[in-house]
Amino acid sequence: MSDRKEVVIRGVGSSHYGRFPDRRVESLAWEAILEAMQDAGAEAGEIEAVFVGSVFGPPGVATRTLRGIGIGGVPVITIEAACASGTAAYHEACEAVALGRYSCVLVFGIEHLSSLFTRGAIVPEATDSEGRAGLPLPGLYALQAQRYMAQFGTRPEAFAEVAVKNKGNGAHNPRAQLKGSAPTLDEVMSAKMIAEPLTFLQCCPVSDGSAAAVVGRPKGRRGEVRVLASAMASGQLWDHRSKEFWGEGPVRRAAQAAYAQSGIKPSEVDVLEVHDSFTIGEILTLEALDLCKVGEGASLAPSGHTQRGGQQPVNPSGGLLSRGHPLGATGTAQIAEIVWQLRGMAGAHQVPNAKLGLVETMGGGAAGMEGNASVVSLLALR
Amino acid sequence: MSEPSAPPISKRRSGQVMGGAFVSDPRCVVKGDKVIGVRCAHCRYPTSPPAPWCPACQHREQVEAEFGPGGTVWASTLVQIPVGRWAPPYAMAYIDLDDGPRVIAHLEAPAILAVGTRVNIVGGDDGDLIVRLA
Repeated sequence: MSDRKEVVIRGVGSSHYGRFPDRRVESLAWEAILEAMQDAGAEAGEIEAVFVGSVFGPPGVATRTLRGIGIGGVPVITIEAACASGTAAYHEACEAVALGRYSCVLVFGIEHLSSLFTRGAIVPEATDSEGRAGLPLPGLYALQAQRYMAQFGTRPEAFAEVAVKNKGNGAHNPRAQLKGSAPTLDEVMSAKMIAEPLTFLQCCPVSDGSAAAVVGRPKGRRGEVRVLASAMASGQLWDHRSKEFWGEGPVRRAAQAAYAQSGIKPSEVDVLEVHDSFTIGEILTLEALDLCKVGEGASLAPSGHTQRGGQQPVNPSGGLLSRGHPLGATGTAQIAEIVWQLRGMAGAHQVPNAKLGLVETMGGGAAGMEGNASVVSLLALR
Repeated sequence: MSEPSAPPISKRRSGQVMGGAFVSDPRCVVKGDKVIGVRCAHCRYPTSPPAPWCPACQHREQVEAEFGPGGTVWASTLVQIPVGRWAPPYAMAYIDLDDGPRVIAHLEAPAILAVGTRVNIVGGDDGDLIVRLA
């Protein structure tokens, strides 16, 4: 590994998150990219490649975005890995810099769901056997929650506590879709049921948005964040032989690789942004990240451990539950958030003394597989 | 089947049920009280719908097989939002068919069944697998 080059995040930026049906999708990306370029002190001419994460495009969105800012003639690669598309693009950019292929790469995630899904939840994919059978994504996560409750005797309130924590955090995040909304446990529990035991307030909103990062070799500029590790793991078969929950495997393998790369132990991480598209998702993720044993994840929010003032704050931004989930943009939004936290620039939802940050995203939705991919990255101020 | 009033403009292939174009059916085939599939001639891995080679060991030779009618609930949930042709409330479950694959199924009655409950395939409804309490 010694011939690998040091990689830093030079700058980050993001749009606001929400439903913006009247906005051009490119305009959200421009907002994110301009902020990231300015933050990095990078000129358009420095960008040697562009890695883009997007699930629903539209096709050509990367090039149409670049047209507006005059970046062209360099490799432009769009990556789709479901909800992990943004972090998958970031991961490939980090690898390209580490291996010496490029010294400065623009990464952005972009999604405009309000122009696709006008009647609430994402319409399941009819080419997928489970989507065709009528299993919505909240249903897939609800099945994990049901299995979890049966296995560990967990009460539904434990899931709701994750929503109370994350939405409480997001109330202070000016870019979050649900800013200003901090429901009580009773309100989360009594919200409309979506798929038992998950209520409406335990499901992330369908969102538009974009976030960007300039990744490259260090320039010695203030605020550069070092990429201590970045690992991606794709899903394997998930079937009658599987002992793990759906989605657990890729997160666990990516996390193990990231911890091994950096020599960092899970208990050393100060702040985390993880994939909480549904409340049970955060619990399963924290177990797969080895923050606790399997079966103990549900106690981390109620015990205070993952609260903003706790030992290891998780999703201080409000997570997907509050920020919203513009699929391809989510991973880059998480990266931006951790960079701000490490710099002490997160404002009203700043976590004290955040030195070591972790980003995790998990994308899934293909029947019979554990997931599409998970990315785990460890970051620290340089 | 009534069509939704305004077809969704979507990159996603939502299928005819949602007002989109025809999509070839990716679901496992249900025949009577059995799921039709294949079993690897080398490692016995059960697959439905069939795959070009054994997904578990990549062995080329697979033999036709039937799975069910018996199986066990891995987990079930009650869905309370409309999805495609399904109106809420409707129950779905992962079922581990006896000596067969894990499949997604609809429960005949809209209620959650405990993990480990024994169920039987009762057939298909418009291509969806339906199970009931054994």
